[in-house]
Amino acid sequence: MGKLVLSEIKSVEELQKRISLLEGKAAREKKARNIAENQLERYSLEVYQTEQSLKKALAFATKKQLELEYLSKASMGDASELPLSEMISNMIELTCEYCAAQYGFYLVTKNGVEVEGTLDNTWSKELGWQCQSELQKLVNANLPLSEADVLESWIVSTLSDNDAMHFGCVLYMNFALSGGKIGWLAFLNKKESFDEGIFPILATARDDLNSGIRRRLTDIHILERNVQLQESVYNLEIAKRQLIQSEKMASLGQLAAGVAHEINNPLAFIRSNMQVLKEYIIDYKNLHDDIKSELAAHNNLDKSSFITLCEKVDLTYIHEDSVALLISNIEGLNRVRDIVENLKSFSHAGDAKLIQISLNKCVDAALRIAGSVFKYEHQIDNQMNNSSPLVLGDLGQLQQVFMNLFINAAYAMQGGGKLSIWHTEENQRVIIHVKDTGCGMNEETISKLFTPFFTTKPVGVATGLGLSVSYVILEAHKVQVTVDSEIGLGTTFNLSFPVSI
Amino acid sequence: MKGIVFVKFNEFIEELWGEEFWDELLNEADLPSEGAFTSVVTYDDQELFILIGLVADRQNISVRDAQFAFCKWVFKEFYNSAPAGAHDFEDVFEFLYAVQGFIHVEVKKLNPNALVPEFKFLSETSNKLSFHYISPRKLCFFCEGIVHGLAEQMGQAVNVSQSECEHEGGQRCVLVVEKV
Repeated sequence: MGKLVLSEIKSVEELQKRISLLEGKAAREKKARNIAENQLERYSLEVYQTEQSLKKALAFATKKQLELEYLSKASMGDASELPLSEMISNMIELTCEYCAAQYGFYLVTKNGVEVEGTLDNTWSKELGWQCQSELQKLVNANLPLSEADVLESWIVSTLSDNDAMHFGCVLYMNFALSGGKIGWLAFLNKKESFDEGIFPILATARDDLNSGIRRRLTDIHILERNVQLQESVYNLEIAKRQLIQSEKMASLGQLAAGVAHEINNPLAFIRSNMQVLKEYIIDYKNLHDDIKSELAAHNNLDKSSFITLCEKVDLTYIHEDSVALLISNIEGLNRVRDIVENLKSFSHAGDAKLIQISLNKCVDAALRIAGSVFKYEHQIDNQMNNSSPLVLGDLGQLQQVFMNLFINAAYAMQGGGKLSIWHTEENQRVIIHVKDTGCGMNEETISKLFTPFFTTKPVGVATGLGLSVSYVILEAHKVQVTVDSEIGLGTTFNLSFPVSI
Repeated sequence: MKGIVFVKFNEFIEELWGEEFWDELLNEADLPSEGAFTSVVTYDDQELFILIGLVADRQNISVRDAQFAFCKWVFKEFYNSAPAGAHDFEDVFEFLYAVQGFIHVEVKKLNPNALVPEFKFLSETSNKLSFHYISPRKLCFFCEGIVHGLAEQMGQAVNVSQSECEHEGGQRCVLVVEKV
């Protein structure tokens, strides 16, 4: 019995111990649960706060994105090549949407009065560009259009007297255009004000717009200047051509006596030959008459009588001489024709269209025209031949250049001398050398060689334009010119032409 | 240290020596948390060290062995509840290399403030890998146990030793894992 009680007591003790253990465990579990629940509540609060701050951040980011989108589109339009009117239309469309206005307007004033512009000057997202005269009147009445100065910022003006239309305010700015005109942008809003946050952004957009307008106005100015410059260039080109032509004619004037002599010479001997031929014709007529008389008297003409009659007028000589005279005449006429041909190609104004030409022929032709300036005491050694490469050039203009060089050479060799012309080739260029054994030039003369109106010849003898005009012609032909000269020994001009491939 | 470690330590002790032993430990330890552990809260590391110290005393084993045994056991628990992807590894070395690039990233996602150790790998041969264990907590013995648990999970046998250990006068802790 006692044993049973003891074991029961022990069992009770164990149970109590077990209970106490489990109570302790339950208490810990409960405390842990409370801690966990509190922690979860804190987590929930944190999640809620995080969500709120994320929403705020999202709203802020969306606002910034809209601002950036607006500014980037507006500035793209300003920086683009769009014409002024399109750039402004673009700005109105973007600003209307950005500031949530119902209508956008564009108008231009001069001296406080609206200038007739495009008819459809009212923009709305729903309707696009239209003419809304009632709205336009409302806007005009609330804008300080009479102000001549450009506003320093955007301005919001509360509207009055528009009960029927229910608009709360108008937002506007203006900017200077050319010719004293002022452009105005205005935006109508149903609300009584605009969100304050948009104004710094609008200010930036306004600065961009102003710089875009300034750039376009400057562009227009530059364009006008460009047109003027092009006109000047055109006029100068015409003047240059006229100058070249005048100088050519002046050179021709100097040569006139020589050229006349060249033509007169053949004309004189042709005339003399013709005179002789005329006499030969009379001899023929006499012979004919004698033959007729002989036949009338004897009804026959024997060989010895015919020979006698022929010998009487010296028919054999007449035959030989007539052929010689005719050949001489043809040659003389050919000379005249050549001179006239060369004069024609020389005096031709030329439109500077470069074609493939032979420098050999060009030098020949120039020599023929200028030939008269060389006298008996001059020797001409023209070594140019068909082997010289072709170049791109204007025959008449280059003849003028060579003629000037030959005239100057002749002038430098007044006591006689030798003119040599030859060519060399190097690096795809053909160089023509024109050398005289004249008086030569000092450094000062060489340095002024191509200066217009500079001449060493007496007044009235030369224009002083020959070499300067030649230089212009040579530059147009991409010809490089060098001059070697020594006093008392002579001068060599080296003209380096690009070879025509 | 995260509450889950304490919860798992509770389970480990109860599994080995019963509820009474755990109750006695808590009574003797007199911890600030009173042993009310929940996985969603973080507790002072020191509480775990006190409990491990008491276990070592009472069961007459070294602290190092106690830490080692618990970590080897707890790895299996964590491994089973780890997210998908953590189970794709079949090799101890492969897993250790992935710890920083994958496991610790997952841990940080859940607990941005979690203090995770850094492994700096020093050398590797086909059967031997050594790395520098860097953590202000100096839980290198925990790490040894974890590696053993990992090897068991991978079905590989390994020896884990430390060629250098801060607890034994070294400048750093270098763990050497050798496949056997």
